[in-house]
Amino acid sequence: MTISATAASIRNARPRGSLGNRLRKRYFSTPVNTSISVVGLAIMAWVIWTAFEWAVLNAVWRSPDGTSQVCRGIDGACWAVINVRWRLILFGLFPFEEQWRSTIACIVIVVVAILSCVPVFWKPVRLAGLWVAGFALFYSFISGGIFDMPYVGPSEWGGLTLTVFFYAAGVLIGMPLAICLALMRRSELPVIAVTTGLFIDVVRSLPLVTILFTAALVLPFVLPSFLIGDKIWRVIIGFALFFAVYQAEIIRSGIQSLPKGQEEAAKALGLSYWQRTTRIILPQAFRRALPPTINQFVITFKETALIVIIGFFDVLASGKAAFGSGEWSFAWVEVYCFVAMIYFVFVFSLSRYGVYLEHRLRVGKL
Amino acid sequence: MKHLVRLGLAAAAAVALTGPSFAEFGATLNTVKERGALSCTGHNGSFPGMAEVDDKGNWKGFDIDLCRALATAIFGTAEGHLNIQSTSWEQRWPSLQSGELDVVIKASGWTMSRDTDTALQFSRPYMLAGIHYATHADNGAKTVKDLDGGTVCIQAGTTMERYVVEHSAANGYSMESVKYDTTEAAKAAFISGRCDAYIDWDLQLAVMRNTEAQDPESVVILPDVLSAEPVAIIMRQGDDQWVDINNWLLSVLIMAEENGVTSKNVDEMRNNPPNPAVATMLGVTPGVGTRLGLSDDWAYNVIKENGNYAEIWDRDVGKDSVYKVERSTNALIRDGGVLYPLVMD
Repeated sequence: MTISATAASIRNARPRGSLGNRLRKRYFSTPVNTSISVVGLAIMAWVIWTAFEWAVLNAVWRSPDGTSQVCRGIDGACWAVINVRWRLILFGLFPFEEQWRSTIACIVIVVVAILSCVPVFWKPVRLAGLWVAGFALFYSFISGGIFDMPYVGPSEWGGLTLTVFFYAAGVLIGMPLAICLALMRRSELPVIAVTTGLFIDVVRSLPLVTILFTAALVLPFVLPSFLIGDKIWRVIIGFALFFAVYQAEIIRSGIQSLPKGQEEAAKALGLSYWQRTTRIILPQAFRRALPPTINQFVITFKETALIVIIGFFDVLASGKAAFGSGEWSFAWVEVYCFVAMIYFVFVFSLSRYGVYLEHRLRVGKL
Repeated sequence: MKHLVRLGLAAAAAVALTGPSFAEFGATLNTVKERGALSCTGHNGSFPGMAEVDDKGNWKGFDIDLCRALATAIFGTAEGHLNIQSTSWEQRWPSLQSGELDVVIKASGWTMSRDTDTALQFSRPYMLAGIHYATHADNGAKTVKDLDGGTVCIQAGTTMERYVVEHSAANGYSMESVKYDTTEAAKAAFISGRCDAYIDWDLQLAVMRNTEAQDPESVVILPDVLSAEPVAIIMRQGDDQWVDINNWLLSVLIMAEENGVTSKNVDEMRNNPPNPAVATMLGVTPGVGTRLGLSDDWAYNVIKENGNYAEIWDRDVGKDSVYKVERSTNALIRDGGVLYPLVMD
């Protein structure tokens, strides 16, 4: 019997019938099961009710005078802190009057990211065009200096916009780099294969904070002045490098999981190296490496929070600044909840998109 | 993970700091003037009272006001001449060494290793961070002796642990430490009644008392000072002119307070100086600026735009702020504190 046939027979063994019937059979079939279910339900109900009471029933939603007086001596959440300080959390230190630019810049990146998830754009030229246009638009809005928009330097970029930009730029530079590294590590020339392997292992053995710290603070000591550039670009390149070495190994695992016959057949047809790689090997490798790739994307999104260590006001750092004033220092739980929700929206969408992709590419259903 | 982070940072910092680079005389002021703006420290988040961000994303606080005063001294106004760089604790020294920052004003204490190993130069302290206990009012404790046999909530791995051990051994009382990973957790535990006392810098205690405790009256900060950390402005070693500017800036703020010169009456004072020292300070008698490479009205501009030491204190941490910290040790000598101006001649 094949595995799928076994799975089918297990599915068939599940209880059938009306909802009530199924519930009874699954959760209340014996006295032990019943008591476990009741206790579990009770605990769940208690947790949910307590959270609901704190977050909704006893909560204070807004502060009419902008101070924390309304939250004195309440039992619930003080969402007034979000009501008063949300612009700080979303935009960090970006000049207040110019924050609409930061909003547009952030939306541009998100929209471009969503568009590039749509199959219509899955052509290298279209993707490249889309992202070049996206980044150009992003840059002219956030940086200004044209059309009466005053210049705003990268040290003032912040909040969610910075996190999203940092992530997009890191992944976009990192992904082609990862493909190159993966192919180079599989090169038939030992010098290239060994050097690349060594490079990947060295970068992988360094903590990300060290790489970021070095890129931001140590490189200016050793680089010639024309190569230094702005801190944010050095850090993005360091971040992309770190992403690339991990992603390279994921792609390599995808390539190596392909039967050797694939490449041999392509060779027999007379396809060149680039034709074999781009038409036969990589598409299949990506398909097989999809689950760990999504995993890596999710991890990388959360790793952006580490840039706080070199003084960037990412969304987590601006969250800390939001409760870090005498007025609001008690409300850190509320701010952390809000920031967690932002992370959740992004990471969860990413995961669901991964599921959609797996369906579409029929991953695991060969 | 935490250890890994520390290890990584230590390694990177070691690379950054090998071969201390000494600044040249006058180099910093020249760089700042060429750039047209002073590069000063902010925080990567917030340090209540010293460097925090208001609802509109603007920096404020005691340290920020000192940055502003320094920029005013150089350019006549801080408006448009001050870049506050958000800076993490770990990043302070490498950023200063690499020239990204001109000066570190970031609640940083004067320690021997910082002073000698890392090619840093300290100004005169501008504040003494007194370490105190806070306790619950219903304990009825009046001095540390009354806390004997009690418990104290502490953030693990900080110098506070050492202060408790040393001070209790020397003063014949004993306290059991209850350790927490973060300040927030330690404070929350104290507020919820898990411990009899909480130990921290008086400014941080005031933050907790006035903004985090359900009722400010329920928390008492004991008067005993366990220790005091001198907080100073930090510069690259070797540029003595820059050190002079920073020292005299602090001195002018204190001297203005001692002589009753405020942002409101500074014009009056300049037209009609009460004594020769104030006349020199405000540039009526020339010389206060040229000797530092600044204009003669720099001290006037600083006081006009930022106020004297007392005005800055009251605005950011004192009676006009939410923290309401007493001057105590940080008062003028004539008021029982330790602050004094250098002699202006």
